[in-house]
Amino acid sequence: MIAHAHTEPRKPARVVLLGASGFIAGAIAGRLASQGIAVLPLGRPVLDLTNPEAVAVLSGALRGDDAVVVLAALTPDKGRDGATLLKNLTMMNHACAALEKTGCAHLVYFSSDAVYGLGPARVDEDTPAAPQDLYGAMHLAREMMARAVPKAPVLILRPTLVYGTQDTHNAYGPNRFRRTAQKDGRIQLLGGGEETRDHIHVDDVAALAARCLMRGSTGTLNVATGRSVSFATLAEMVARQFPNRPEIVKTPRASPVTHRHYDIINLVKAFPDYKFIALEEGIARCQRESLG
Amino acid sequence: MKRPAIGFAGMTHLGLVSGVSAAEKGFDAVCFDPDTARVAALAGKELPVSEPQLDQLVAKNAARLKFTSTPADLKACDVIYVAPDVPTDDLGRSDLTPINDLLERVFGAARDDAAIVVLSQVPPGFTRGKQRPGRILHYQVETLIFGRAVERALQPERYIVGCADPLQPLPAPYRAFLEAHDCPILPMRYESAELAKISINMCLVASVSTANTLAELCEKTGADWSEIVPALKLDKRIGPQAYLAPGLGIAGGNLERDLVTVCRFADELGTDAGMVRAWIANSLHRRDWALRLLHDEVLSKIDDPVIAVLGLAYKQDTHSTKNSPSIALLSALTSYRVRVFDPVVPGSVAPNPRCVGAKSELEACEGADALAVMTPWPQFARLDPRDIAGRLRGKAVFDPYGVLQGADCRAAGLAYHTLGVRS
Repeated sequence: MIAHAHTEPRKPARVVLLGASGFIAGAIAGRLASQGIAVLPLGRPVLDLTNPEAVAVLSGALRGDDAVVVLAALTPDKGRDGATLLKNLTMMNHACAALEKTGCAHLVYFSSDAVYGLGPARVDEDTPAAPQDLYGAMHLAREMMARAVPKAPVLILRPTLVYGTQDTHNAYGPNRFRRTAQKDGRIQLLGGGEETRDHIHVDDVAALAARCLMRGSTGTLNVATGRSVSFATLAEMVARQFPNRPEIVKTPRASPVTHRHYDIINLVKAFPDYKFIALEEGIARCQRESLG
Repeated sequence: MKRPAIGFAGMTHLGLVSGVSAAEKGFDAVCFDPDTARVAALAGKELPVSEPQLDQLVAKNAARLKFTSTPADLKACDVIYVAPDVPTDDLGRSDLTPINDLLERVFGAARDDAAIVVLSQVPPGFTRGKQRPGRILHYQVETLIFGRAVERALQPERYIVGCADPLQPLPAPYRAFLEAHDCPILPMRYESAELAKISINMCLVASVSTANTLAELCEKTGADWSEIVPALKLDKRIGPQAYLAPGLGIAGGNLERDLVTVCRFADELGTDAGMVRAWIANSLHRRDWALRLLHDEVLSKIDDPVIAVLGLAYKQDTHSTKNSPSIALLSALTSYRVRVFDPVVPGSVAPNPRCVGAKSELEACEGADALAVMTPWPQFARLDPRDIAGRLRGKAVFDPYGVLQGADCRAAGLAYHTLGVRS
């Protein structure tokens, strides 16, 4: 559940993006710029949050009236081990140390749905966090670090699986399906692709983040569409984008089927008029964009 | 034996209905409340609550009803019920201050041989804590249902009576009053009776939560809950009176109070309340049924839509809006233009600055993009869907309780949504 500090949307003085070179940050920067909001993108090599000197660099760059969005993190493809965990915590520790010095008008931390366990298929913001790996534990710990920054109005955003044309990760889902269909003429499912998941287009993530920044929202919000589909259905959607239908290949199942559905009623209450990009439409958009 | 005189202390919903019903049964009823303004209103037949039959019975039994704010008038009573409504806060926690105060007044005013009976909803352990030497104190379970309170008071299914020692006979005047209602009397220790009240409510919540859980599944699978219900009611283990109508969660305040009480006791005593917490979560989930559909069908599709809402009360035949799903919906629609109509509750109670109270159902519908029927008032069922379709600008009708005929709505060109069946 989130609360809005501002009844009517108002532009933040400036939005500072930490981890600005990432896929989601790029979409948010573009969204904010299109709305005439000043943005200071900070990413490596300008700001290496793993380095202790980053505290001075960041505190020198921040102003007390900034809205700060923290997206900087080493993603699972960079490692899921203890060393990666410690690096991620160090990065957050440095960011928080700088924020403690300068203060900020609004702190938005981009977490992950990895803070939830695989037990409950249906989750909302009240679902107890029960991370299953160090990546989820990392985000949960960093959420707590964000909330501990003195006097900062804090918003935690927990996005579900995000897809979009610019996504550099090749995680199991729309992006990988589209790329392998294009390259190999086939989409490979894990098992029969029975698992259901909620996939959100990066433009929706950016639009919702912008809305939260304009309203000074605080609390915790899952960023999801509320509609889950199986990977098999998803593969069909992707396959329909190609004139020569790619082959959809099932593989022997190696792990039990799990499902994930989001109850997005808190998002609906926060932004009742919000219209998501339908998954079919989002996939078609990615295809058009990738073909130029 | 001369008919005993019965006192009722606390002239809010429970006490008033109980006193009037006692008079209807032929007993002289002394209806006491320390609030002189409330008593003056009652003496002038201005009732603070809306219940079927209540106004007529007050007029009919005026000779047997004495409304008073003078405690000494209770001296005439052989049995005195202490029956103020126990208010709850937003979290369902009881405020026992009013009943504590009133009970002290009654102890001070009543004869020593009078049976004092706590009728309000109190937590286990309350009554024994109020026992004092030389006085007669009982607890009696009330089973008031908003909108059916008079009927339930006149024709109780049974009396559950909490006693200091259930092996001792009930005082004769108290027994005489109870026996006049011709139903089983079940004496038990105080704590059992207090927990029996909660147990009844938990069983009801279990049934309603089961119905709500499976109705939602019906909405996703293509099954129709209304087809399943008759099959369940013919099962003797479930029964024809089972609470199986799907709804928008638990409302009204009393059931929520018991849910909170059970969780509190379980936490204090180390017993498991996981199931009760699941009921609470399910109730909150289903309360937002209309908002979810409104978002999907209207709010995310139309700029600045107008929403018509019929009903503000938490159920039909009551003025109460405690935990009303309609109020919850309206509080989520504060940025939208809303027109609302309720036969009893004024539109001004809606927590929405853009809400306008309409004079009629069809006036509320005029030019609206969608209609939500949020309270199952019987008069709404008499609306002709063709008239609704003629007034609405849009097509969407959200009728969780199935007040309107779905087929007629569809025939009138409306997009009809109800609980327990896929739209």
